[in-house]
Order: sequence, then C-alpha cells, then structure tokens
Amino acid sequence: MDTDYAIIGGGVVGLSVAWGLLSRGRRVTVIDGDDGAFRASRGNFGLVWVQSKGMKQPRYARWSQQSAALWADFAAELGENAGTIVPLEQKGGYDLHFSEETLAETVEKYEILKAKLGGDYPFEVLGHNALRKEEPHIGPKVVGAILHHQDGHANPLRLLRALAADVRRMGGQVLTGKTVTGVTKPDGFRVTCADGTVIGADRVILSAGLGAATLGPAMGFKAPVRPQRGQVLITEKLPKLINRPSLIARQVDEGGIQIGATNEEVGLDDRVTQPGLSGLAAEAIAAYPALARAQLVRSWGALRVLSPDGLPIYQESREMPGAFLVTCHSGITLAAVHARLLPDWLEGTQAAPDLEVFSEDRFAVS
Amino acid sequence: MTRDLVVIGAGPAGMAAAATAAEAGLSVALLDEQKRPGGQIYRDVDRAMVRRGAILGADFAHGAGLTAGLRHDRIKHLAGAVVWAIEEGFRVSYTQDGKGAQVSGARVLLATGALERPMPVPGWTMPGVMTAGAAQILLKQSGVVPRRAVLVGSGPLIYLIAAQMVRAGTPPLALVETQTRGDMMGAMRHLGGALRGFWTLAKGLKLLAEITRARVPRHTGATQIAIEGADRAEAITFHAAGRAHRIVCDTVLLHHGVVPNTQAARSLGVTHRWNTAQQCFLPQVDDWGATDVPGLMIAGDGAGIGGATVAEIAGRLAALHAACETGHLTREQRDARAGSLHRALDKDRAIRPFLDAAYPPFAQALAPADATIVCRCEEVTAGTIRAHAGLGCTGPNQAKAFGRAGMGPCQGRYCGLTVTGILAQANGQTPDETGYYRIRPPLKPVTLGELAAMDNPGQDAAE
Repeated sequence: MDTDYAIIGGGVVGLSVAWGLLSRGRRVTVIDGDDGAFRASRGNFGLVWVQSKGMKQPRYARWSQQSAALWADFAAELGENAGTIVPLEQKGGYDLHFSEETLAETVEKYEILKAKLGGDYPFEVLGHNALRKEEPHIGPKVVGAILHHQDGHANPLRLLRALAADVRRMGGQVLTGKTVTGVTKPDGFRVTCADGTVIGADRVILSAGLGAATLGPAMGFKAPVRPQRGQVLITEKLPKLINRPSLIARQVDEGGIQIGATNEEVGLDDRVTQPGLSGLAAEAIAAYPALARAQLVRSWGALRVLSPDGLPIYQESREMPGAFLVTCHSGITLAAVHARLLPDWLEGTQAAPDLEVFSEDRFAVS
Repeated sequence: MTRDLVVIGAGPAGMAAAATAAEAGLSVALLDEQKRPGGQIYRDVDRAMVRRGAILGADFAHGAGLTAGLRHDRIKHLAGAVVWAIEEGFRVSYTQDGKGAQVSGARVLLATGALERPMPVPGWTMPGVMTAGAAQILLKQSGVVPRRAVLVGSGPLIYLIAAQMVRAGTPPLALVETQTRGDMMGAMRHLGGALRGFWTLAKGLKLLAEITRARVPRHTGATQIAIEGADRAEAITFHAAGRAHRIVCDTVLLHHGVVPNTQAARSLGVTHRWNTAQQCFLPQVDDWGATDVPGLMIAGDGAGIGGATVAEIAGRLAALHAACETGHLTREQRDARAGSLHRALDKDRAIRPFLDAAYPPFAQALAPADATIVCRCEEVTAGTIRAHAGLGCTGPNQAKAFGRAGMGPCQGRYCGLTVTGILAQANGQTPDETGYYRIRPPLKPVTLGELAAMDNPGQDAAE
C-alpha cells in the first residue's frame, strides 16, 4: 500500500483529520482539488461556536463544546509546529436580538438545552444597557444579547495555511489539482483520479465537502449533503469597534469587520448578489450604526455543506469497511476534535468518542 | 432604469458605442466614474483642450469630436457613476453622488479600457515613485509636471510623456529603457504590418526626435533596476551598456506597457486566454466584441490593447451588433455599415505586433526577486508567493487565502498578473493552467451605508 489513509479532500476537515493521524504516526495521503473548486474552507465565517448548536441534539452541543475546549491547545501546538500563529480569541460571543420576543424565546430554548447538558452551558442575558457597556458601538435597535462564554472566533485562513504546512512537515503527502473519479476496494483501496493517478491505501476518508454527494453513493454512503449559500462581506481595516463576535459581525484580527451571512438554497451557485449584500449591510448597520461609513473591501459567496438536520456525519461504510465519511458544516469549530479525537474513532481504539448519533442511520431511506 | 444597452466607460470605445447605438435607435445608459467624458486617453478633453491643447497634441483634440456625439436624447450619461457590481441579466449597481442606484438592460458593453502594468522592482512602493500614466493624468488634469524625474521602462507611452514634458519646459532627467536592440531586431519581422500603420510609426519617430533635440539622455537595454532612498525615492540604479549607473532624482515614473482591465469581465465569468505577445490575459470576444456571456460585449483596450483609434472603431462595431440583435438594424444594414469599420480596424491593428515585440515588458519585473513586494495593498512579497506554491497553491485563489495577496482595496487589479506569473513559473504550469483571481464585487469602493440604502426586503430575499 502507498499509504495508511487516503484522505479525499484537502480542506480544513480533511487536513485536520490528516494532522491528527500523522501525529499518531500514520502515513497519510491527502488528495486535494484545484484552485477553482468550491472551498468552504476559504469562504467560512471563522467562528469557533457553541451556542445555538444542537438545540435538538445535545450530543452535537456537547461535541461542539468539546472542540471549543480543545481549540486553544490545538491552535498553539499547530502554530508552533508550523512556525506561525493561528489567531484565536475565546472570550465569549453574542446572539444579538432586535426584539424582546425572539430574545425570550431563544433563552427558553437555551434553558432546556442547559438542563440536558447537566448545567454546563454558561450563558447570560444582557439587556441593551448591559450590552452597551461591553460593546460601546452597539445600536439602539438591539434590545439585548445572549452572551455565551464558550464562544469565540479564529482566523480560518491562517488555520488552513498552518494545516497545509504542518501536514507536509510531518510527512503527509498532499496531491493538489486532483479530481477523484472513483474508489474501489478489490483488496485494499484504490483511489483513481481524472489525470490517471492511482493511490493505494488501507483506508479511505471521504471529506470532500459537497463532492461527497457525488463520490459517496459508490462507496456505500448515503452522503445526503447539499449546498447552502452564504454571502459574506468584509470592510476596510478599522480601529477596534467590536469586542466580541456574533453571527452578524465580528472584527477579524487584521482589523476588518466581517459581516455574514445569508442562508440561500440556490444550488451550486456561489455568486454574490446586490440584494444579498444590501440586506447584510443593513442588518450590520442596525447592530453597529458606525459601520454605515465603512468601505466594503471584499465580498464573497461560499457554499455550506449541509446534511438534512445540519449535524455532522461520521459513518464507516458497510459496503466498503475501512472507508469513512467525515462531513460537517462547522469545520472550523470542529477542527480541534477532528484533529484530537476523531483519529481514535477511525482507529477504533478504547478512547474512541461515541459518535453513534452522527451515523447515517438517522436518515430514513426514501 | 432599464435601457436597451448599458455602456460602462466613457473613453473612445464607450463614447463611440453610445453614439452609434443611440443613432440606430437604442436607448443607452453610459456610466463613467469621471465627472466628464473622455476616459483616460481623452481625459477631461473638453476643458483640457482649451487650457493645454498645445502640450497635449492633435491626437488628444480628436476626443472632443467623440464627446460631441454624446449629446443625443437617447443617451443617458451618468457621469461620476462608480460601478461596483454587474450581475448577469444584467443588473448594474453603481454609486453616484454618494447614493447607490441601479440600471438594468439585456445588453452590456464593457469599455473599461486598460491599466498600466505594474512594475514591481526594488523600491517601487516608496513615495516619489509613480506610474508614468499617473503623471500624465496630473498633466492633463492639473497641468502639473514632475520635476527632476526619470522615466523608466518601455513602450510608446514613455516617449509621448517625455515629449509632453519637454513641451511643458520640464524635460525628464533621463529615459531608462528596458527594451534591447534584440527586441527591436525581432520586431523588424513585423515591419510589414507596422508600415501599414505608417502614420502611427511616423508619430513615434517624431516624438523620439523631440526628445533627442531636447538632449534627454536615453539608456536602453537596462537591467537590475532598483530605486534607492531612505523614506522616499532619491536615486535610480541600473545596468546598461556594460556598466552600472546611478541617477539622482526626485521622481521615478515607471511604465512598461498597459494591459486590459478585465476585472468587470472576470466578475461575470467571461472566458479569458493568455496572450503571449501581450503577456496578459485577454477576454475571448468575436469580431463584434461579443463574449461567451449572452448579451455581454467588450470593446476597446479592455478586449486587448489596440489604442484609441482601434477602441473607437470596436465600440462602433459592438453598437451595430447590439442594434442588430435588438431589431433596430437588419443583418444586411449592420454588415453594410460594418464593412469599412472592419477594414479600418485591421489597418489600425497592423502595427500592434511590431510594438509588442519592440517594447516587451521588463522581464525582471515579471519575475521579481523574492524580497520585492508584489501586492502593495497587503505588502506581500514575491518570495511569499513562491512559498505558497510550495504549500500546494496551484493558482492565485488558494495563494490569496494563504497570504492575503489580492485582498486589498484594489481587488487584485495591480498584482493579479504578477501573482499568476510567479505561480505559473514556480509550479511549471502555463498562465492558463494557473488561472486568475476570482473577481467579486465591489469592483470599486462602496460604503456599507450606500449598500444598505438599497436594501429592499421585498426583492429576491437575502435570507
């Protein structure tokens, strides 16, 4: 065999898993796409986020919490190894509300989840005045916020680059500009690419984002992932304006204010639209009125990789044992568990996390 | 507002297209970011001619005829309109007087012209260094001529600017030219074509004679160009004629050709191909300027460098095509009117292969040394881009994600070709295989307030 693991997909998910496996001495080959491929790793919002995740499935909330707790140590080790810094800030994050009703409804849901998690769900509700003390630039239309202390944000592009560098440093093979056309298991696995490259591997991990929908069924997966477009804006670099991130806006470590994101079911279309940009700008200005004068520097559209219930999928193929589907739409938040804990599940060790609720069994056969 | 044809850019191509289309019966919107028509080549021509006609020359005066053609009641000229997004269909979003607005139309003509090819040499980002074209804009607009300046690079524009500086009584200290005798020898095989464009060639020789009469020193075949200075340009150093030179100066004007401004076309997904002779990407257009995006046309330097006369003709051809497609002209009427234009276009393009070969871009600026900054918005060096290639970046979009090259306010307009060139070389790929930045709105600056003012929740919902 050429390698222990062939990992299809060189985004943050694939590289995080690769990094974890390499740390345990496994041989890894990552097969990555071309420069123009749909890459959620280049377009995501960069939150390391806990609140609102797993409202109907506490295990997902717990999994996100586990990752958030491991993130700082993971980022420090990765950054040190790769000779760089992976900027991370975990001092809480907000869910901003423009109406008392939605705020109260959300708090009620959080209380239910908190009980299911045995009380480990540290959030507090800030009224407008309390919020204003924390965020002097908050606008009058914001009635209040839920401050969740396990939330934070990172620089997702620095994470991607550090992973790309450190996976190589640890001896991982990364093949770029490839399109995988087929995976067979005559004896061991054979992964075939459009340009004729064939990689032999003991095991295969499918972490190809939206590409899993095409490749998955032939490997025995349901892989019911669909694209959902998110448009994102970023302003010129500004002096400190926002202390803590929210789903509406965050100030990135370079200084720009990043504003997101739309949720649009438009298929494989990652363009931005004027209505999309205008809607996002209007909401951000409602939250932080000073943003009205800020220059837009870039905008982009990226495609979320969504399962029907929005939860990750971790599944070993029953038709092709040794082939694993790993997919989620929170590759940044979950990067730490993918690097630190998922290898135990892949290797089937005693320490393997229980990921039963994330299997494909939850999707009814239609 | 909906128009039959939306023209973006009021240079020679855009002005000629708008006038031709309006005469044929189409309603036209002409958007341009300048307050007055003319584009870069005929910048502010109506006013500048009155004040500085003698310095700027007879070719410049021709622009006044084009601006006159815009006085037509089917042309809505939106002056000072900065276009920041064009969506297929087409929906053109722009800002005018601090307010966002839109114009739509089934046909769009991009006449966004050219931009100067950036010349990344050591020291090029220091104060006191600017492009020769920027210096010429100052001259056209305000009559300001840089003092103690050295013109560096290659191409006919250097001679034009040098001659204009001579006429203004402030000749440059020297011309440091990068083209070699070998380039000129190679160009000679295109001389047959150049002679068909005899008048252009003759004008070039006349400019050179003016420069020589003013005793401006010329150095050709210059290499190892660097700009020295503590915190601003103080001298330029280079090698030429077998020895090192150093010229003390206050201003360095860099120029090694112009390239199509393809940002708008890129943002709409028009197919581009690398052109080896012009060392840049060209949008793929047919004889009428039509692209592979339905309804989208490109005319002028934005479709490939040809100069003002070529741009004007191409603008008229695109307008005739649009008039035919909208039923204002029959195919026969279109072809009858286009015949002489196509012939004139061929004649005016004939000199281009000669110019491309005689004045190639400066090789050491196409592949800058590792320490030289290539993306000045984010201060990314050539060496950093090469390191990204080592991290598996096969194209500029992954490199942008890895190191922020192209993320700044210029939208990658100025570093795009350099970054593609460096990656292509480092990865052993062609520029076509390497590709180009994915261009997104905003094409030009817009504030969040201007964007938000256009928010209309009834529209195709954002969320």
